[in-house]
Amino acid sequence: MKAFFILVFIILSTSSSFATEQAEQLFNQLKPSLYQIKLIDKASGEKSSIGSGFQISKDGIIATNYHVISSYALHPKKYRMEYLDGEGNTGLLALKSVDVINDLALVKRDIDATNDAQANFFQISATAPHKGEQLFSLGNPHDLGMIVVPGTYNGLKKESFNERIHFTGSINSGMSGGPVVNKNAKVVGINVATSGNSIGFLVPHDKLAQLYEAFLLSPPESIEQQMAAQLTANQNKLMTSILNSTWHEKSLGKYGMIPIIDVPFIRCWGDSNADKDDALILAAVANCSLDENTYISSHFFTGAMEMEFRYMQANNIGSNKFYHLYQQQIAHAGAGNRANKDNVTQYQCHHDLVMPDNKMIENKSILCTRAYKKFPDLFDVLYLSASIDKHNQALVSHFTIAGINQENALTFTRKFMEAVSWN
Amino acid sequence: MELVNEQYVTEKADMKELIIEEINRNHKLLHRHKLNKNSIHVGRDYHNDIILSDPHICPSHISIDFIDNQWQITDNQTINGTFVENPKEKKHEANQHIVRDGDVISLGKSQLRLLFSDHAVEPTVAFSAFESFINFMRHPLALFISIAFFTIIAGGIIYFDRPIEVNFSQLLVPAISMTLGFALWPAGVALVSHLTKHDARFMSQLAVSFALFNLMWFSDIFQSIVIFNSSSNNMLPMFVTFLFVILAFTLFWLNSYIGFHMSSKRRIVISACLTLLLFGGTYLIQYSKKPEFDPRANYNATIMSPSFLLMSSNNADKFIADSNKLFEQTSKKAQEK
Repeated sequence: MKAFFILVFIILSTSSSFATEQAEQLFNQLKPSLYQIKLIDKASGEKSSIGSGFQISKDGIIATNYHVISSYALHPKKYRMEYLDGEGNTGLLALKSVDVINDLALVKRDIDATNDAQANFFQISATAPHKGEQLFSLGNPHDLGMIVVPGTYNGLKKESFNERIHFTGSINSGMSGGPVVNKNAKVVGINVATSGNSIGFLVPHDKLAQLYEAFLLSPPESIEQQMAAQLTANQNKLMTSILNSTWHEKSLGKYGMIPIIDVPFIRCWGDSNADKDDALILAAVANCSLDENTYISSHFFTGAMEMEFRYMQANNIGSNKFYHLYQQQIAHAGAGNRANKDNVTQYQCHHDLVMPDNKMIENKSILCTRAYKKFPDLFDVLYLSASIDKHNQALVSHFTIAGINQENALTFTRKFMEAVSWN
Repeated sequence: MELVNEQYVTEKADMKELIIEEINRNHKLLHRHKLNKNSIHVGRDYHNDIILSDPHICPSHISIDFIDNQWQITDNQTINGTFVENPKEKKHEANQHIVRDGDVISLGKSQLRLLFSDHAVEPTVAFSAFESFINFMRHPLALFISIAFFTIIAGGIIYFDRPIEVNFSQLLVPAISMTLGFALWPAGVALVSHLTKHDARFMSQLAVSFALFNLMWFSDIFQSIVIFNSSSNNMLPMFVTFLFVILAFTLFWLNSYIGFHMSSKRRIVISACLTLLLFGGTYLIQYSKKPEFDPRANYNATIMSPSFLLMSSNNADKFIADSNKLFEQTSKKAQEK
C-alpha cells in the first residue's frame, strides 16, 4: 500500500515538474506588480476586507474585483483603501472606475516617478485562451501571502448571461481580484468566484480591457451614477434578449400551459408529488431561474430572476377544502434577491381579478414592487397569479425579477400573464 | 270611615317610619331594615334594634330618636365616633345631627343609609328590545342549536386547514375544546357578576355570547367573500372589518346588560372600552411584532372556490395600468429616506 502511494506521488511529481518550474518563473517575474488590497475601517483602524489586485498601467492603475472594494465604493467616508506590495510597502489607493456587472474595479496608487522598479505592470492579452490551455492564477488567499495556482481554461460558463470563464483550479477567498495569466504572462482573466472542488470562475480579460479603455476616454464623474447606469443598461440588455426570444408553450400537469423561454441562461427544474398516494393535492412544479447575482454589497444582490409554475389537482377532497389548502400555498412569497432596508423600500402590492386577453383562464393576480434607494428607477418586482376558475384544479404562476425598470417589468408581466393558461 | 281617617292622621302625625340600609363602601346594599319606633338603638350588643358585628362599633353606639317630628342622632360617647358622610359634603360629627332623607352615616368601619318612607325612587326601567332576544336565545333548544352550530363551524375550519386526511374523532376533539374555550368568556362574565353581588345568569350569558360568536363566523365568511371579489383599489373590505368591531361592541354591551345593573351611559362606555382594548390591543401586539424591514411581500391572498366568485374579472390592460401606480408609490418612498 505504501509503495503504491509513493508510486503515485512520483508519477504526479514528474508530470507536473515542468508546470511547477514554469509557475515559479512566472511568479518571480510578475510578483512586483501584484498587490494585496485592503479596506481599513477608519474608526477601528483595522482591515475589514482583503483581496488581490494587479497593476495594468505605467501610471499606477490597479485592477481588482468590485466586490473587494464595494464597501469603499458605497461608504467612502467609513473606509480607506490601501495596498501592500511584495516588499511590504503600503500606500493609499483612490477609486477610479467600476464595472458592477462584471465585478471589476480600477484603483490607482501614487507612483514615485524616480523609481524604475515600479514601472512594471501586467499586459492584458489580446486573444482568448483555447480550451485546455494551462493558466496560472495569482493571488493572496486568506491573507497567507501571494501564491500561484496552475489550472486549466475550460471555456465560458454556458448558462451565464454575463460571460464568465470556467477555470479548473483552486481559487480561494482573498484571491479575488488577482490576475490569471497564460504562459506568456499575459492577463486572460480575473479571479472572481469559486464553487468549490477546483471549480473557479474568472472574468474574461476583454471586460477589463473595455473598462480600462472607457476610463481612459472619459473617467466617470460619480461611481454611484456609473453603477446605476450599468445596472440599467444590463437589465435592458437582459429583458430585450428575453422578450425577443421564443416563448415555447409547454404543458404542466394535466391541464396547465406554461411558457418556457428559449434562452440558454435560464435553466428549469421540475418536481411533483406523484409518488405520494395519500396526498390530498397532486402537484407538479416547474422552476426556471437565471443564475445571475450581481453583487452590490454583502447585504444587497440584484439581477436575479426566477419563475415558478405550480399545477395542482384535488385528490378526493371538496372544492372548499381544496381552495383552503391552495390559499396556504400562495399566502407567502418573498424576494428572490437579498436586500435590506438601506437598499430597498418595503414591498407594496396590488391585487385584482384578471382575465387575460386569451380568455382561457381567470386569475387572482398580485404584483408587488419595491424601489431601490440608491439607484433611481430600478425595482424588485414580484408577481403571483392563482387561477380561480376551476373547482378542482389550480395553476399558479409566479416570478420575481431583481433590478428592473418600470417599463421592462410591466412589458414582461403583460407577456407572462398571456402565456399562462389552461389547455 | 271617620275612624280610619283619624287613625291615618295620627300615624302620620306622631310616627314616621325610618328605613335603615346597611351598605358597603361602594354604597351597595347589604341589608335593609324598616323600623316603626320612636327610638332606634344601633350597636354591637344584642339589645339593639340593629345589631352590627363590626368590632370598631361600641355595644351601645348610637340611638336615633323621633323628637318634634324629626329624627335626631345621639352618639353615646363612643370610642371611634359617628360621622355623617354624605357624598359631595364635608364629613362631620353625627352627634345631635338632624336626619335628612338619604343621609349616610359611618360608625366604626360600617356605613348606614337612612331613608324616609316617602323617599323618591328611580323610574321603572322598561325591558330592552334585547330582552326578548335574550329570552329566545336562552331557551334550551335555541341554546343547544347555537352551541352545536358553533362546534360544527369550528370543526369545519379545522377540517379545511388540515393538509392531511382526518377522521371524525380527530375533528370532534379539537372542535369541542374550541367550543369549551369560547364558553370560558360567558362563564367568566357570569362569575364576575356573581362576585359583585349581581345575579349570575350564566345561561343567558352563554346564549348571548354564542349567538354573537356565530354572527362573527358569518361576518368572517362574508369578509372573505368581499376580499376575494374585490381588487386592492376597493375600499369595501375596510368597511366589512368594521362589522367585527360592531359585533364585539354588541357582545360586550349584552354581557354587561345581563350581568350588571348600571346606567345605560356607563354600559356604553364600558363596552366601548372593552372593544377598544380588544382591537387596540391586537393592533398593538401586531405592530410590536412587525420587523423594521420585511423582505417578504405582504399581500392579501384570499381565494375561494369559484362558487363564491361574484364579480367579473378585469382585463390585463387594466391590471397593468393599476400597477403603474405601485412604481410611483415605491419610488416616492425610496426618495423619502
